[in-house]
Amino acid sequence: MIASEKQIREFVGAHDRLHVRGLGSKPALHQVDAPILDMSALGGIVDYQPQEFTLTVRAGTPLREVIDALAEQGQYLPFDPLLPDSASIGGTVASNLSGSRRHRFGGARDFVLGAAVVDGAGQAYTVGGKVVKNAAGFDLAKFLVGSLGRYAILTELTVKVFPDVPQFRSLRFRYANLADALTASYAINSSHFDLDALDILPGADGAAVLARLGGFSDSLPARAERFRDFVAKTTAPQHIEGSKDELSLWDCVAGLGGACLAKVTLAPRQLLALDAAVDKAQRRYILAGNIAFVACEDADWLGDALAGLGLRGLLLRGGARSPLLGAPLENVLAARVKATLDPLGKLV
Amino acid sequence: MDRRFLSALGEIYPGNRLLTRDVELLPYESDALTAFQTKPGAVALPDNADEVIATVRLCHERGVPFVARGSGTSLSGGSLPIADGLTIALNRLNRIKHIDPQQRIAIVEPGVVNLHISQAAQPHGLYYAPDPSSQSICTIGGNIAFNSGGAHCLKYGMTSNHVLGMNVVLADGSLTEFGGESLDGCGIGPDLIGLFVGSEGLFGIALELTLRLLPLPELYRTVLAAFDDLGQAGDAVSAVVASGLLPGAIEIMDRLAIRAAETVGANYPDAEALLIVELEGEAQQVEAEFAQLRELIDRSGAFEIRTAQSEDERARIWKGRKSAFSAVGRLYPDYIVQDGVVPRSRLGEALLKIDASKRRYGLEVANVFHAGDGNLHPLILFDGREKGALHKAEALAGEILAMCVELGGSITGEHGVGVEKRDYMPAMFSETELDVMLALRKAIDPREIANRGKMFPGGEAPALTMQGMHPLERQGVISRE
Repeated sequence: MIASEKQIREFVGAHDRLHVRGLGSKPALHQVDAPILDMSALGGIVDYQPQEFTLTVRAGTPLREVIDALAEQGQYLPFDPLLPDSASIGGTVASNLSGSRRHRFGGARDFVLGAAVVDGAGQAYTVGGKVVKNAAGFDLAKFLVGSLGRYAILTELTVKVFPDVPQFRSLRFRYANLADALTASYAINSSHFDLDALDILPGADGAAVLARLGGFSDSLPARAERFRDFVAKTTAPQHIEGSKDELSLWDCVAGLGGACLAKVTLAPRQLLALDAAVDKAQRRYILAGNIAFVACEDADWLGDALAGLGLRGLLLRGGARSPLLGAPLENVLAARVKATLDPLGKLV
Repeated sequence: MDRRFLSALGEIYPGNRLLTRDVELLPYESDALTAFQTKPGAVALPDNADEVIATVRLCHERGVPFVARGSGTSLSGGSLPIADGLTIALNRLNRIKHIDPQQRIAIVEPGVVNLHISQAAQPHGLYYAPDPSSQSICTIGGNIAFNSGGAHCLKYGMTSNHVLGMNVVLADGSLTEFGGESLDGCGIGPDLIGLFVGSEGLFGIALELTLRLLPLPELYRTVLAAFDDLGQAGDAVSAVVASGLLPGAIEIMDRLAIRAAETVGANYPDAEALLIVELEGEAQQVEAEFAQLRELIDRSGAFEIRTAQSEDERARIWKGRKSAFSAVGRLYPDYIVQDGVVPRSRLGEALLKIDASKRRYGLEVANVFHAGDGNLHPLILFDGREKGALHKAEALAGEILAMCVELGGSITGEHGVGVEKRDYMPAMFSETELDVMLALRKAIDPREIANRGKMFPGGEAPALTMQGMHPLERQGVISRE
């Protein structure tokens, strides 16, 4: 088992090609014919300073362990890591996967302050910083968010954390069709309501907008009431359902069954075209229609559909030619970083 | 400057947009860090992205170093010209191409002034959040290059957190784009936006930017508390942070800064330290949080507490804070300012150390800082007419930066490294880390022409001079924070 940075460097030195895996919660990312560098034993919180809003943690640490430690101090990871019960923090950052609560403050890139890495040449060093504000040097820590372990191996991460709010209210607004739901989402998302999450749910008969407000208990009921009135007045929903806030409502991929599951990045103005192209799949849109999760039986079919729309997806579950679906990702700047950090092309 | 290069430039630019005469070059000799001055070989004023691309390609082909420049408000000498190099002034690329209120984005050229984006978004109830103090004049391209901050970074992040897409020309003339209109930014694959933003112009020039806009907060609640002791103000910040509140801004000023603010009629209480805390957001939520904040401040030992009840009163509280820098300039002939960061819980320790250092140097230091994120702004005061005074002030500044690193922080929170702090990079980064950054620079810019001489230690150091404040600074239009 790999349990130290030294062992990682040795592993890199001993192999011509290798592939990094955390807890393996996204099997589609690991269909690679290369020796696996298993990060699952490189876990544990290194330093947590609730007063500083900073946490330093080894990459293989299960998210659940991190989330629980933060919750004890009334804090949370605002980028709302996806798969909190099965993924590691390193894998989540390397694949840039967030859930619905990312809506309020941003994604993983907005909360990663620094990292310790081993690059493809086997060199160990740190990138970024450990304080919440830092503008020195190139921000390679941000670059590595979403990089799928192909440029450098994340061994330790320093992230910014925030105080959590104690209570939530969820509201579901139903519309006759997806276009109406999208229009409602636009109006809500540019209003001054501080929402914790804003999802769009297409359905067989119409579509729904699911919104979540978080805050202090004494002001929350009145805020929810005011928000409900605003949405009713400005978007004329067919039906409004105020539900007790249940965590299951906000597990944005829980309801998406099917052999394949993918994340798709899109602009909301592309949402209707995407939805029409993949309407035989199950879909949920988070971040006011800026991220889609799509579940279907055939990932290559999904990849072709995305390519046709100029969109990109990342396959988390199921088999495909590559986990990178849709429009090609090649980029001249990325290629030069690759040539610098992994000159022999070891990290695949 | 090489005649053949100038004549090739002449094919891209008409004469009135290619400056070569001494008198025309003079205004470009320095940026807001006026202690450094270098005369460029020429200044080009492109009108559009195609001209920028052609210029960068020509520079690459001929090996001529260039600096991209916006309004020249860099506080780290980031847009200081290169001797005999080309300055590419991007101010004419100032079009706001598109505001999309539904998707909450703005598509802009690099020469657009930061505040103009918020002004264009305002009719839609939106704004562009990063608010460096020079926002009424600084350009978005410069903000991108230096990952500029402002008073609201703890909650909303720095410039990097608000960029969704970019079109850029790399230093070797390659064109590339990344990200797009999605609020997920790059979304899939490495975060190229995160890498490019803050690269201090060493990778190339951004030609077009897609920015995230935020809804204007419905309500602000601002409180000002006066203390007999700087430590008490620091403790109040700790109490606020520990309570679970997330204010938009937390600022502290010390006695000297308060005294200076009086010269602009701030009408602050006579105190050792002032704390400003601002909450913002949805009205009912802010009111509930404000009640909690008031309780904390009431118990903090403050001898006077003022609460803004109107937008006017809020502006009054901020006025002294925002003009503190130019106000200090009225008390002393010269000052330099650093923007090092320390972990918030070590702010008290950091201030004691600054106090001890300044005594040793026999210099005065005024402190104004973003307490929420531990971002110091010590203003080191001196008289540039005294022989050796600038160098003494520089030495003290260096000591303060070293202390920031020692306490686990950073040499710069928002101004960037530029020319000014490049020699402090080794204090913060190991040799391997600097080697990797330099290798990356060379992979992207093999001839090392883009903003040569910045960020990396060594290189030719331009002569230091001090001739008082920047004219705009004296007028209070820009400030060094």
